[in-house]
Amino acid sequence: MTGRQATAHAHISHAHAHVAHPRAHRRRSIARLMRIVLDRYFLLPIGAAIALVWANTASESYFMFAQRFDFVVNEIGMAFLFALLTQEVLEAVMPGGALHSWRRWSMPIVAAAGGVAGAAIVYLAYVNWQYETALIPAWPIACAIDAVAAYYVLKTIMPRSGALPFALLLAIVTDIFGSIIVAPLHPILETRVGGAALMTTALLLAALMRTLRIRAFWPYLLVCGSISWVAFYWEGVHPAFALVPIVPFLPHEPRKLDVFADPPDDDAVHHAEHAWHRVVQVVVFLFALVNAGVSLRGYDTGSWAMLAAELAGRPLGMLIAVGLAIAAGLHLPRHIGWRELLVIAFATSSGFLIALFFATGLFAAGPMLAQIKIGVLGSAFGAVLAFGAAWALRVGRFAS
Amino acid sequence: MRRLIAIACLLFVVGGRLARTQVAALPARADSVKFAVIGDSGNGGSTQYEIGARMAEVRTSFPFDLVIMLGDNLYGRQDPQDFVTKFERPYALLLGAGVLFYASLGNHDRPTNRAYARFNMGGERYYTYVKKNVRFFALDSNQMDPRQLAWIDKALKESSDDWKICYFHHPLYSDGGRHGSEVELRVALEPLFVKYGVNVVFSGHDHIYERIKPQKGITYFVNGSSGELRKGDVHPTAMTAAYFDQDQAFSLVEIVRDELFFEARSRTGRTVDSGVIHRPGRGES
Repeated sequence: MTGRQATAHAHISHAHAHVAHPRAHRRRSIARLMRIVLDRYFLLPIGAAIALVWANTASESYFMFAQRFDFVVNEIGMAFLFALLTQEVLEAVMPGGALHSWRRWSMPIVAAAGGVAGAAIVYLAYVNWQYETALIPAWPIACAIDAVAAYYVLKTIMPRSGALPFALLLAIVTDIFGSIIVAPLHPILETRVGGAALMTTALLLAALMRTLRIRAFWPYLLVCGSISWVAFYWEGVHPAFALVPIVPFLPHEPRKLDVFADPPDDDAVHHAEHAWHRVVQVVVFLFALVNAGVSLRGYDTGSWAMLAAELAGRPLGMLIAVGLAIAAGLHLPRHIGWRELLVIAFATSSGFLIALFFATGLFAAGPMLAQIKIGVLGSAFGAVLAFGAAWALRVGRFAS
Repeated sequence: MRRLIAIACLLFVVGGRLARTQVAALPARADSVKFAVIGDSGNGGSTQYEIGARMAEVRTSFPFDLVIMLGDNLYGRQDPQDFVTKFERPYALLLGAGVLFYASLGNHDRPTNRAYARFNMGGERYYTYVKKNVRFFALDSNQMDPRQLAWIDKALKESSDDWKICYFHHPLYSDGGRHGSEVELRVALEPLFVKYGVNVVFSGHDHIYERIKPQKGITYFVNGSSGELRKGDVHPTAMTAAYFDQDQAFSLVEIVRDELFFEARSRTGRTVDSGVIHRPGRGES
């Protein structure tokens, strides 16, 4: 290589380095963005936004798509989400977990009861006032709390306060209550006998696997879970909850306050949950895509009733119940006062993912479901109210 | 003043004659299947009573013995007294003459109204019945659950009747501005209607009258203005065949062998749409 060639080569390499550097930077930025999107369940609102635009621009192709994938996503895919949520809650409440202390539970249970009562009363009062009694069975939908959304909203507003465990416990109690109501009311074609026997088989098999110290998750989920799924389906119980009874047999490791986040890869169990978390992200995206699409002209009484119940009824019921509990001698957690409580009440007002799931679990496709879905989607405004309240009351990051 | 009264009398007489003449557009054969169609009717207001009176008047020359109800049969409170003021009184002359009403449920109807004897629903949300060579299928479009879909699939499959007419509250096609087409329902129901040769579908919900150009061989009517009305709500599109959104309306239908004659009437008795639908013979599409 002559001196001139070498100089030219050096120039070219230098130029390459200049070109490669921004590309690498861009790749890193995209990777970081993807991680945030995946870690914080942002695929849910992204899927919902796509579905809404699609349903209101090319409605026929959207509803054909939704109808085709409805069963696979809602009845099978969602089983992995509820299993993961159960696993995370179990790990948070086990010894060493962030929510282990039962002393913490009393006030959130009171708040949950107040929230459920407030949402249900406002919802039922509204539909009865409008004489639309056909909408009465939808009241459990108004009670649902999107625990994941509440977690991230509060984590942003008050990252290091007692608000997070308080809100999580409140949401968990509320959604367990809602699930118990909704699961047996799922409209399916026909029930069959033999479900109980199958369920027993699934549980015995899971217990056997645990005795044999099988550490991998998938044998439990795929073998025992499949049997349990058929059992639920035959019994007329929503099969998306089919993995929940199997989850307690899985290996567990205590969790810090990182519930709903991608777990730290610090042991074999959390390593497996890491993969599970990725599967669930895909499910959540598909769930939003299949279920959140609704014609915006479909709003009606059910939409307003749902909005009133979630954004006003639940926060009000929660505050009244906590007020009564304090009067009766219970105490709020440390560093949580009425201002923080109001922010928590708004942060937990949206039902979004869970309410959409309850809605599809209780109602078959049709205009009634559509109007309820619009109300549920609108309840995402609760997050804005939470930020607004935090700003106005100088709570958390808005304190200074 | 006298002139005004004279003009009013003249209009009344001419209008009445016009109405009677227009009934003749329907063949009114003795052996045919004749029925009337009302939707979104039960508000208990004066317009509902006027439509009821007009239907009774028409029946003197067009003796239909059946009325299909497209839902929202009662608005607001639905206590026993409301069944009197919002159904029995407005249609007292028809009910007294033995006309049978077959209802479908709308979003404003209480689900328990299916047990009301004069709606002839047999306590069911969805049901079927036959009149001569015509089979009617009344559906509950509020929720298209798997059981109802399986039922309509089976019922349509088993029907060998000449005419298959479906009716329910929410329209699969509509140019109404407030609600419009229920596309999610359409995706679920239309393939079955096409597969099993449904001829005509009646719906309400949008408070207008509209006839849609045949879609995949099926003629769709929206008749949701027999009590309620949303004036000027139709935004005509390429699929609009005819519409009327200036006053309340009801429809009259007569089926004579392979032809279905229809006529839509306004509250004042004016014919706002009419025509004939031919049933394709065997082998035709």
